[in-house]
Amino acid sequence: MDYLAHLTLNCGIFIILAVSLNLINGMAGQFSLGHAGFWAIGAYTGAAFSTFAPLPIPDWMNLLVGCGVGGISASIAGVLIGIPCLRLRGDYLAIATLGFSEIIRLIIINMDVVGGPRGFTNIPKWANLGWVYLWVVITILVISNLMKGTHGRAIISIREDEIAAESLGINTFKYKLLAFVVGSGFAGVAGALFAYSQQFIHPNGFNFLWSVIILLMIILGGLGSITGAVVGAIILTLLPEVLRLMGPTISEWRMVIYSLLLILLMLWRPQGIFGKHEFKIFSLIKRLKT
Amino acid sequence: MSGPILHTKNITMRFGGLMAVDQVQLKVFKNDLVGIIGPNGAGKTTVFNMITGIYTPSAGEIILQDKNINNERAYTISKLGVARTFQNIRLFKDLSVIDNIRLAGHQKLTYSGISSILRTKNFKEQEEKLTEKAIKLLKIFKLEDKKDFLARNLPYGKQRRLEIARALATDPKLLLLDEPAAGMNPKETRELSDLIIWLRDYFKIAILLIEHDMGLVMNVCERIYVLDYGKLIAEGNPSEIQNNPKVIEAYLGTSEVD
Repeated sequence: MDYLAHLTLNCGIFIILAVSLNLINGMAGQFSLGHAGFWAIGAYTGAAFSTFAPLPIPDWMNLLVGCGVGGISASIAGVLIGIPCLRLRGDYLAIATLGFSEIIRLIIINMDVVGGPRGFTNIPKWANLGWVYLWVVITILVISNLMKGTHGRAIISIREDEIAAESLGINTFKYKLLAFVVGSGFAGVAGALFAYSQQFIHPNGFNFLWSVIILLMIILGGLGSITGAVVGAIILTLLPEVLRLMGPTISEWRMVIYSLLLILLMLWRPQGIFGKHEFKIFSLIKRLKT
Repeated sequence: MSGPILHTKNITMRFGGLMAVDQVQLKVFKNDLVGIIGPNGAGKTTVFNMITGIYTPSAGEIILQDKNINNERAYTISKLGVARTFQNIRLFKDLSVIDNIRLAGHQKLTYSGISSILRTKNFKEQEEKLTEKAIKLLKIFKLEDKKDFLARNLPYGKQRRLEIARALATDPKLLLLDEPAAGMNPKETRELSDLIIWLRDYFKIAILLIEHDMGLVMNVCERIYVLDYGKLIAEGNPSEIQNNPKVIEAYLGTSEVD
């Protein structure tokens, strides 16, 4: 039971990370490979808040403040990194963001206050499944509502055609930055939640590989689809565990099978499971009725 | 009469050693319908790109309603009332037809990102107004039945029309059309000529257009500028241009016998 709860919780954290990265990569079309860096900032500032400066209020309030601290500090990092990096395009942006996330990790390793290479221990357990999924709902609601307004349309127009967007009066840099800041902010919240549920975080737990895995989640689900990001996050979190349970042979080969499945999916459906579409419950009901 | 809406004073664009546009003077007045013609590579689109802020001129001044816009960014110039279409259509292909139009209303909306997240009354009212306006515009362009189609699924002629509609949705004072008739058949081209004249009168805007289809240019434009190798070689009304020896030379070459 504990194992299942742990898996479900991880799913929640990765849903937040995937949905927020989808805003940057899928919606704004800015190829960022630094999401693990923002996740780490959120986790470490959240953990530092809970250990060094918890407020004299009930734990659940502290949890909310901690998530706020994690999210805001990751957003600030997003502004600082976004302003120079978002002037770059495509591969160059990917390399620059990747570099920044590695810098963040190396800084943390060299900071003794937060445990350095030993990791950050004894973080209070404030978060549980309920809190994580409350934040999942908040993340999805905020991002999907934002996308339905003119700010969201402006963000998508950058992905579609930057020159046309500029010629229609859209300050593309501003909206790239908005997507970047909101996206990194939610990654920070996911980090704080991660810290409060695991109670132990380690800098190498936020390395480059995780940025790639979160990116895989949204590519698998369909770049530009929030539903796709959710489904991709669930599949890629559960898949290795499901393969592990399928007997000793499959378990041994599970990483190979995992990779093969990804390759096959990309061959059959390069646009991802959902493409750019969203799963809409209301229109499905309508279609079923007629 | 007041001065011109748009006045380019000897604008020049150099790309390295290449003189793409060399000291070109254009004047566009209110309600004008002006054409720019010239052989391929004459620098017509480069002139458009300078006016709309995609390039910054190497020399010269672009004056938009008594204001120098040389160093303004493209989105500011759009706010000042210049809209354009592109030679190779640049629609937002994965957005619906109506969203393409709604995007162009972006600068008129004042609600914040927060109010869009919280779905405030202000957000809903402004969005409703925007949608109404977009549908009105789509009706003018006979696209309202296609409003929920993705832009990429429209046939070519309709994509061109949608691009003009999108440019108009920014409420411009000056509309720049870059080869609006490219790839259209004669019937579509005739319809487009009528549409351009009608748009000018209905929206009371000035239109500056680049076009290779001489039929359209001669029908529609009241004044024509001719560019060749980046230089302005002639200007005047259609019949003056048709009989101008320099223009004939640029298009057909000189005879060696004379």
